[in-house]
Amino acid sequence: MRISGFQKPAWSCVGLALLALPGVTLANADVEKNIANDKNWAMQAGDMYNQRYSKLKQINTGNVGKMQVAWTFSTGVLRGHEGSPLVVDGKMYLHSPFPNKVFAIDLDTNKILWKYEPKQDPAVIPQMCCDTVNRGLAYAEGKVILQQADSMLVALDAKTGKKIWDVKNGDPKLGAVNTNAPHVFKDKVITGISGGEWGVRGFIAAYNLSDGKLAWKGYSVGPDAEMLIDPNTTTTWTDGAVKPVGPDSSLKTWKGDQWKIGGGTTWGWYSYDKALNLMYYGTGNPSTWNPSQRPGDNKWSMTIFARDVDTGKAKWVYQMTPFDEWDFDGINEMILADIDVKGKPTKALVHFDRNGFGYTLDRTNGALLVAEKYDPKVNWATHVDMKTGRPQVVAKYSTAQNGADVNTKGVCPAALGSKDQQPAAFDPETKLFYVPTNHVCMDYEPFKVEYTAGQPYVGATLSMFPAPGSHGGMGNYITWNAGTGKIVQSKAEKFSVWSGALNTAGGLSCYGTLEGYLKCVDKKNIEKELFKFKTPSGIIGNVFSYEHKGKQYIGVFSGIGGWAGIGMAAGLEKDTDGLGAVGGYRELNQYTELGGSLTVFALPN
Amino acid sequence: MLRKTLLGLALLVAGSAFGQSQLYKVVDGYKVDENTMKGFRTWRQAACDRCHGANQEGLVGPSLVNSLKTLTKEEFVKTVRDGRLEKGMQSFGNSPVVMDNIDQLYAYLKGRSDGAITRAKVEPIQ
Repeated sequence: MRISGFQKPAWSCVGLALLALPGVTLANADVEKNIANDKNWAMQAGDMYNQRYSKLKQINTGNVGKMQVAWTFSTGVLRGHEGSPLVVDGKMYLHSPFPNKVFAIDLDTNKILWKYEPKQDPAVIPQMCCDTVNRGLAYAEGKVILQQADSMLVALDAKTGKKIWDVKNGDPKLGAVNTNAPHVFKDKVITGISGGEWGVRGFIAAYNLSDGKLAWKGYSVGPDAEMLIDPNTTTTWTDGAVKPVGPDSSLKTWKGDQWKIGGGTTWGWYSYDKALNLMYYGTGNPSTWNPSQRPGDNKWSMTIFARDVDTGKAKWVYQMTPFDEWDFDGINEMILADIDVKGKPTKALVHFDRNGFGYTLDRTNGALLVAEKYDPKVNWATHVDMKTGRPQVVAKYSTAQNGADVNTKGVCPAALGSKDQQPAAFDPETKLFYVPTNHVCMDYEPFKVEYTAGQPYVGATLSMFPAPGSHGGMGNYITWNAGTGKIVQSKAEKFSVWSGALNTAGGLSCYGTLEGYLKCVDKKNIEKELFKFKTPSGIIGNVFSYEHKGKQYIGVFSGIGGWAGIGMAAGLEKDTDGLGAVGGYRELNQYTELGGSLTVFALPN
Repeated sequence: MLRKTLLGLALLVAGSAFGQSQLYKVVDGYKVDENTMKGFRTWRQAACDRCHGANQEGLVGPSLVNSLKTLTKEEFVKTVRDGRLEKGMQSFGNSPVVMDNIDQLYAYLKGRSDGAITRAKVEPIQ
């Protein structure tokens, strides 16, 4: 029976967890203590709920206009700088894109305490085509955790930078590389995998923080046991209710063995609810981008997963885009917030998907509560049927119905989604979500591809352009009411907003732009720009805040790159198909050039 | 009449550059012979556009319109086969679809670089 196949690995994992028990409470307590201290920025999102909110308020709506650059730091690396540094107890830990350098900086002196630079096979650089980003570090129990591009997960001694343990997470020769930040929940280091465009079969993995040993691994697609799905107790939203997924819920939705190269990679941000002991993340696109080669719903690609952190067992799943035809990768972050949904207090999970819908689910059981467009230009589906949870696809924009070698035109959003990995913020005061978005549409032409191990496995040609019939820009910064599924305010931006947002108790909402501006707006009226400063390069990093010696700082990486920066800046420069749209992208070259650095701001003394 | 003239011009360009008669054939700037079509399909299958741009204009990787003005055929084959890993160019040496069609791929890209093929997406000559 499949069920016993599932239980065996699950129990052996529990066994490992029990052995490490003395570390369990400590690790959890340490990270919790660090994030409870407002002076720190101890996790990539500032907390385990992915809220990106700082309680600091020395810098506020009244004085942010006087903010100045306090100090800067060059990483010495070109290419896209995503994520942000961490700050723990007066030390800052910075990462860089490939070759994935790590710096520890003493905030008293701004001196480099130690530097770590791994040796990695340069063959992984092209496997990460087209940019070699890394989304940052994790910190717990005196360990700095780095997830290298070549899939090595490394724990460094936070005091010395010396390696404590390392473990190989994937096979880069097959395109299984990493860009995600590792996350520490309880006694586990959680990491994912990239390579959806190389036919990598996605998974999420938990390693013991204490020794780096694999505790459990749950695939996104395939047999129940390998996904850590129990057909009787793992549930999903079906026919207006939460019901068990039943046996072979993934295998039934794939033709033949396609699932073995089926994608569903996991390179986003993860969140954790301690009370429920559940972690949340999304899975990416099914491989290939040519839908005709993989008929079926391709479960559980494009899916929100809730897993038990101790065992990895899937508690519930919800697939946002069954049978993807547009590369609407579902990896964007899950933000946990306790809010009123349709008037009722709810333990909510809020997710802004690449497919252009903002979802609100009950995070305790995966019940679908709200699914509405967070960009009015989204056209590939009319709406999400709330009973089935399925988007209602518009035939004209179906790249599968139009078929291979046919260019499906004017699909909104583009493959990079109404939002990509750039994380949104939740503000507990305004109860609103602050969402950096893309306002871009595309033409999409799928074609047949053959799989060769370690070679690209894409199967579509794309051309992207600003949403037609709008303000001409390629981005919006919006506020969103996740209880009603409505845009509250929308601030037009010239380029996609590819920077993670930060909200503060000082009344601010801050984000970066591709031209390189750090902007802080009034969180009660985001049209009101209170601060703007041009950093050395375009910003695709996430804004963060910390306090040191009584002073609040706001910082951000600049360093243009990533899909938006390089893909859009250079990609369409000479594109004759984009017509009037092209001008917008070409203009980015007038604002910025490659180069990674950190800029940190504070009020003058 | 116009078509014949264009075809003649294109053949002249291809022939004069390489001293061979038919590296590629092109009509109206985008209708090409079967070999060149194979080269285009190879370009798509190998996802070269991810780095070199949808129109070979350059992205993270260099513009192939420019590169093929100076790169010899031998250098081209070596680069595709072995890669330039430090620069981010992967090796396609173990990709049968690329290595079995390397001449056709070269013909297509050379046609784009020469300016004889005027748009990236080509169609077969009917």
